[in-house]
Amino acid sequence: MRRTIGQLAGIQVDPSRPAVALDGVTETFRLFHERPGGLKERLYRLRRASYTDFNAVEDVTFTIDHGESVAVIGHNGSGKSTLLKLLARILPPDEGTVYTNGRVASLLELGAGFHGDLTGRENIYLNGAILGLNRAEIDERFDEIVDFAGIRPLLDTAVRTYSSGLYVRLGFAIAVTVDPDILLVDEVLAVGDAEFQDRSLARMQTYRDEGKTFVLVSHDLDAVRETCDRTLVMEHGRIVFDGPVAEGVELYRQRVASAAAPPGPRRRDARRVRVDDVALLGPDGQAADEIAPSTSLTARVRLRAIAEVDVCSVGLIVTRGDGTHLYELHTTWQGVGVGPLVVDQEAVVDMRFVAHLLAGHYAITVSVTDVSGRETWAVVPDAVRFSVAPAPGGAGLVDLAGSTAVSEGPARRLNDATQTAPIPIARLQRRRRLQ
Amino acid sequence: MTLDHSFDESAARRLARSASGKLVELWRARELLLQLVRKELKVRYKNSALGFLWSMITPVLMTIVFSVVFTVVVPIRINHFPAFFVAGYLLWQFFQNSCRGGTDSIVGNGDLVKKVYFPREVLPLSHVFSQLVHLLLALLVISPFLIYYRGFGVLVHLPATLLAIVLLAVFTSGAAMWFAGVNVVFRDLQELFIVIFQVWFYATPVLYPLALVQASPELERRSLEWIATALLFNPMTWFVEIFREPLYGPVLRRGTDDVISLAPSWPSIGAIGIAAAWALVTFVLGYWVFLRRARTFAKEV
Repeated sequence: MRRTIGQLAGIQVDPSRPAVALDGVTETFRLFHERPGGLKERLYRLRRASYTDFNAVEDVTFTIDHGESVAVIGHNGSGKSTLLKLLARILPPDEGTVYTNGRVASLLELGAGFHGDLTGRENIYLNGAILGLNRAEIDERFDEIVDFAGIRPLLDTAVRTYSSGLYVRLGFAIAVTVDPDILLVDEVLAVGDAEFQDRSLARMQTYRDEGKTFVLVSHDLDAVRETCDRTLVMEHGRIVFDGPVAEGVELYRQRVASAAAPPGPRRRDARRVRVDDVALLGPDGQAADEIAPSTSLTARVRLRAIAEVDVCSVGLIVTRGDGTHLYELHTTWQGVGVGPLVVDQEAVVDMRFVAHLLAGHYAITVSVTDVSGRETWAVVPDAVRFSVAPAPGGAGLVDLAGSTAVSEGPARRLNDATQTAPIPIARLQRRRRLQ
Repeated sequence: MTLDHSFDESAARRLARSASGKLVELWRARELLLQLVRKELKVRYKNSALGFLWSMITPVLMTIVFSVVFTVVVPIRINHFPAFFVAGYLLWQFFQNSCRGGTDSIVGNGDLVKKVYFPREVLPLSHVFSQLVHLLLALLVISPFLIYYRGFGVLVHLPATLLAIVLLAVFTSGAAMWFAGVNVVFRDLQELFIVIFQVWFYATPVLYPLALVQASPELERRSLEWIATALLFNPMTWFVEIFREPLYGPVLRRGTDDVISLAPSWPSIGAIGIAAAWALVTFVLGYWVFLRRARTFAKEV
């Protein structure tokens, strides 16, 4: 029987309090304009080097209950990793309080503290001790670690001679046997081959199933969706969203899409033609924002000439929340040009299409170009957004309007299609990989 | 009233918890300390008995060189100079190597400090403990040599030798933590280190007995007697003295300008007291500076 470290070290989980509680936490980094010098420089300089304070994490407050699995997502530099270091006590907060309840272990870097001249066996003991295990606990876990990493033949070889993959595997094997109450993981799953990633994901799943509290920082949104129940979306050191995984991931996708707005000429201010308004209308002529799959839509673009325009083309691009290009259409492609327009003349262009799309969030970008498409005169990124509601009948991205029939053998009519809908195969496959 | 009372209680409890928490944490880190010491020794000795002998080359060579210089070239009136020198030199090596290892211990392990939480003081302390193991092994190796020259008094007074080592280890721990903490902010401390310790070595009575300085007519003639007094303010003077007295024997001033070497004996309570005071003050100050600095190590390394 394995005892948890908490019991050995006298750290007990207090079930009446949350697993993690942050209250008004701010972490400030001091960015020196020049590299801070040493003693010598301090002596002849007298004044201190100039610097700017930068809050990597700003006024963050949240609590995590026991058994919750939380993903922290956000752009690079949004403060995710700093947040994790605060939870791991590597950084003490400059303001506010960080409370953790129970034994915390962090997988921030695998194999940190390995010494190349020591053998695999010696490094297991050293690294285990760094992660807070005592000798008896490492003895207990030794075989498990060796088998998980698959290094038995190399056990008494200096780790200097290990391949980098082996190195990481050994680091991971040690780290996951620590068996904490709260586990912090930072991107480490991004290293290693596919098989290793699957195994580590499976391990995370086990943690979740065992009711351990679990905080993950990752850019792999699929992994986030598979392993976590809750997301914190961070932006500029603040938490901008705290809630269910699906919503958080979608919000993050949209933010990524808008942050990665089209570069170059598209960003320029309108020349010659200005787009005044873009509306998305359903088949009934009313504004559409949430539609059923395969609804006919009309994008109504109202534009106004700033200069005299002989002829121009209006285009639209339908994108998914994460910026994936789905469909593009220009009036010129259908032999239609808009113009001639005199200054201040208005034109309204209706672009009809059928949204053969399945559940998800989408956006439409509108542009006005010359007929050759070489010069862009106006662009409105994500001018309108719409979402497609989940509906029975198919799963995936594109509504291929499939139908089924049993051409031989008996068949039965089922009444409620949603009740009998199976889990999409794509998800099943991912789950199978995890097991 | 109730509010005030509960606030006081929780504040007191918080203080108690943070102090006891620190102790529990250090106690829990003993395994890590042990593993780090093992690592240091293994890497240093390369897993072989010969590795240990290799590491004895420096003190042996230094002993030979200085013995030639101070018994043949510029003779000083010390019986069995090699025995006199090697005892003090091993002690000095322990101090200097611990501090050098400690200085680089945080900066050199930057990856670890930035990625994993553990009580940071185990890094400098691991250097002190591995050097301590080395010192004890080295003493074991040279003990027949000392007994041959200085008699069995060396063994009789062993408890005093060990006490001196314990006091020096406490002193060195404080110094190593101070160097480790300060080096994170002032990186050129590492370069200054060599100069500082070179000067410190000659300002410590390792090469020469303290009594010889006190009995020097030359210093008196040039009214430089303050040098002998200044040496008393060097903490290492006291550690070397209380260590060498039970191992080599006291060297005393005889008349105005002569010294005499006696057989090993117990060091005076006064000298032990001064050394103990230095050890305690340095440890507390060094640890305090280190802990204050340790808060921002992860940002600065």
